[in-house]
This record gives sequence, C-alpha cells and structure tokens, in this order.
Amino acid sequence: MMRSLAIGGFLTALALFAVVEWAARREGSRIPTLGDLCAYVMRYEVGPVPVGRIAVFGFWWWLGWHFFAR
Amino acid sequence: MEQHREIAAEVPRSWDRPVVSVPVLICLSLVGGQLPSFSTQANLYTLGTGGALIWLGLGNRLARRPAPERLPRGMVWWVLPAVLFGIFEGGTFVLGSSDDFPTFSRLADPLLEDPLVRSAAYFAWLAAFWGLVRR
Repeated sequence: MMRSLAIGGFLTALALFAVVEWAARREGSRIPTLGDLCAYVMRYEVGPVPVGRIAVFGFWWWLGWHFFAR
Repeated sequence: MEQHREIAAEVPRSWDRPVVSVPVLICLSLVGGQLPSFSTQANLYTLGTGGALIWLGLGNRLARRPAPERLPRGMVWWVLPAVLFGIFEGGTFVLGSSDDFPTFSRLADPLLEDPLVRSAAYFAWLAAFWGLVRR
C-alpha cells in the first residue's frame, strides 16, 4: 500500500514536470522552460566566482554519480 | 554617408555540432552503461565524464546560449512538481527507504541494472549535462 503510494507520488511528480515543460514550450507561454530556469540560476555570480554555474553543475554531477556509480 | 555595420557572429567550431556531439555522447553512454554500480570503473568514469563537462562549462571554450535577464511570474508553476517530488523523496528517506516505502533511487536501481536502460539513462544524464554546459 505504502509502496504504491510512493510510486504513484513519484510518477505524478515526473508527469507534472513534463506537463509544466510542455506548457512552457507553447507559443506565448509565460512559464519559463526548465532550461531557461537553469540558465537564470547559472547567471548568479559572487564577484568573479560563477556560484550559480558551480552549484548547478555540481548538483548534476552528484546526481549522475549517485545513480550510476553507487 | 553610407555606414558599414560590422556584424560579429561567433562561428561554431567544427566539432561543436549535434552531428558530432550526439554520436560522442552515445558512445560515452554505451560505455558507461556497461559499468556496474559500486565498481571503481563506474566511479572513475562518472567522475571523469562529469569533470570534463564541468571543465568545459566553467571555461570560455564553447559558445553559450543567452540566459534570460528576468524570469516571468509563471515560474512558480515549477514549484508544484518540485515540492511534490521533494515531499515523497524526503518522506521515504526519513522513513529509512525500505521496500515498503522506497526512495526514488531505490526504485530506479533495479531498472538501471539492465545495460540498455542504464545506457539510455546515461545518455539522458550526459545530454542534459551538455545542454547545461552550453547555457
């Protein structure tokens, strides 16, 4: 029962990610795409340090390592 | 007087095209998909490919797509799936990630044991990484 709830919850969240991305790609949409959202975050810098880029790259790197290496 | 406007356009490098990058990513994914979890090779390969992409992304060797100056108010819609995912991931993690209430990675692990699925997932990870490097 709880397992089904967890699977249902994750599938719903993934479906919502896809729906929001689809809505963002429609012409004249006021929703940014996930790529635009990431690009905006990656603009953040503290002095000469590209903190946003480091954070986004670091998170994505960790995600791949988490799924493929451990 | 006639004015000549100089147009500066960045010419993409010969290797910086989908016809080159996609086959390279496919080859890297096929290799990565053969490496089992918890192996030294898998650790080194993930750290190596990711590290190389970060090196490219932090340098100025590649042309980048322009980032938006501001985000429209519709960005709040992204909170909905993120919070839902976070609730389930956090809840299952706090409760110990058992078979009865598994985290997302615990659910994904059996699927990723198949080399073909693993290679496809590897390709998705690398392709998204490449997309981030270009932003």
